[in-house]
Amino acid sequence: MGILDGRVACITGGTRGIGLGIAKGFLDEGAMVVVNGRDKSKAERTLAELDAGDRAHYIAGDVKQRESCEAIVNGTVDHFGRIDILVANAGGASGHAPIVDLTDEAMQDSMVWNFWHTFWTMRAAFKHMIPQQYGRVMCVSSLEGKVGKPGISIYVAAKHAINGLTKSAAHEVGTLGITVNALCPGAIETDIMKSEGPPAAKSMGMDYDGLLNMFAQESAIKKLNEVEDVAAVATLLASDAGAGITGSLISIDGGTAPY
Amino acid sequence: MGKLDGKVACITGGTRSIGRAMAEAFIAEGAKVVVNGRDEAKGQACLDEMGAGDNAAFFPGDVSKQEAVEGLIDFTIEKYGHLDICCLNSGGVLMTAPVFQMTDEEWELEINWNLNHVFWGMRRALQHMIPRESGRIIVTSSVEGKLGKPGIPGYSATKHAVNGLVKSAAHEVGTLGITVNAILPGLIETDIVLATGPDSALAMGLGSYENLIDAFTSESAIKRPNKVEEVAAVAVLMASDAAKNMTGCLFPVDGGTMPY
Repeated sequence: MGILDGRVACITGGTRGIGLGIAKGFLDEGAMVVVNGRDKSKAERTLAELDAGDRAHYIAGDVKQRESCEAIVNGTVDHFGRIDILVANAGGASGHAPIVDLTDEAMQDSMVWNFWHTFWTMRAAFKHMIPQQYGRVMCVSSLEGKVGKPGISIYVAAKHAINGLTKSAAHEVGTLGITVNALCPGAIETDIMKSEGPPAAKSMGMDYDGLLNMFAQESAIKKLNEVEDVAAVATLLASDAGAGITGSLISIDGGTAPY
Repeated sequence: MGKLDGKVACITGGTRSIGRAMAEAFIAEGAKVVVNGRDEAKGQACLDEMGAGDNAAFFPGDVSKQEAVEGLIDFTIEKYGHLDICCLNSGGVLMTAPVFQMTDEEWELEINWNLNHVFWGMRRALQHMIPRESGRIIVTSSVEGKLGKPGIPGYSATKHAVNGLVKSAAHEVGTLGITVNAILPGLIETDIVLATGPDSALAMGLGSYENLIDAFTSESAIKRPNKVEEVAAVAVLMASDAAKNMTGCLFPVDGGTMPY
């Protein structure tokens, strides 16, 4: 008996990091879960790691394409018959630079990867959730959706945009049994952080260890967060007990965000 | 196997409404709980209704008084051996009035009830938790801890103050295995709201209790009051091991009301 028995979830970018952690959290509570990644070859490894048999399914697709975003959501409905929970989790940024040197391409790529992907999957999910008058949408935002650090404006701007979208969306569907929330984790040393962190640090005028240390020192716990911290909150929001929580930007950052 | 097996909690204002829902949820997850309230008869009725046997106890006292708050913490530790989870939940107003009509007596009561009670409880609990390097402080704040409505200036001021206290405390003990968080519920039709709502509605210029409920819920996305169970579920999460790295968080349970 889990608190998500019978629920169907779709998680973008669920093959590793936060998305994989959320997938495990949902599966532990009885949900059926679609995970997504760009690479078809990762499907086998991911499904083996989840070890949930028919309750887990992989849909390949690049979230930087609208067609893929819609195919991931609609594919979830095709496979499991419905979609109750959407976690727009994929995201990241590359091409960091101070604004004076920033390229259009870097800003555009970050907005597509983080913000447009969230919008495309949310819109596609609402088309299923509004008629069924039930749904849980979670946008994986960031501490940087509430504050702003120099040198990573492409990420900060995209995550702030996601938080705004979350609040508007919550009010649009608030009486239809659908909640929309943003999760705002502090720094977590995921694979994406390991690959994108060093160039981000460089753009901020420090090295990677300095970046991680800066995030830890800003927090109350003086360490980075973990994917399981985020998964626990996502599971609560996805459950029936989360029915009255919407439009919230929930900090999971060890006490860093000021609000 | 519960999420709070072996844990000991105390809850101010725990015999009814939000505190009661927290108590029941904690007990369901395996914790032992001491609930507090002013009224002995309500306390006994609470224990009888929860039916948790030795896993629940009642400590009477008015938490606008320092002795009562510290007495609850001390009683809990004496009764169950230690304290893991301290829920500082009690709060409210007796008289609603705009600032220009506010009495010193009401102002002082609200400061003691809503703010000082949280400080007294937190200080006493931390004195016990810091040497153990383990603990959870959960404060019931309010949507009014981030907003401000006319007619309830003391409530808004004290709930804002509590949020600041939570953030400072979280940073003080963040590396000691202790988390300090606040839950910010929107309007819930608790016993306190049912009792004081009609007067509050008049003080706020809203005419009737129904208008008061409408005024709060129309600001939300869900267009309904929140429920005590929704707050209790968040409290269980904050109390559990899974939330060991969540601290200094002002967690809204308000159906999408507050802007930030």
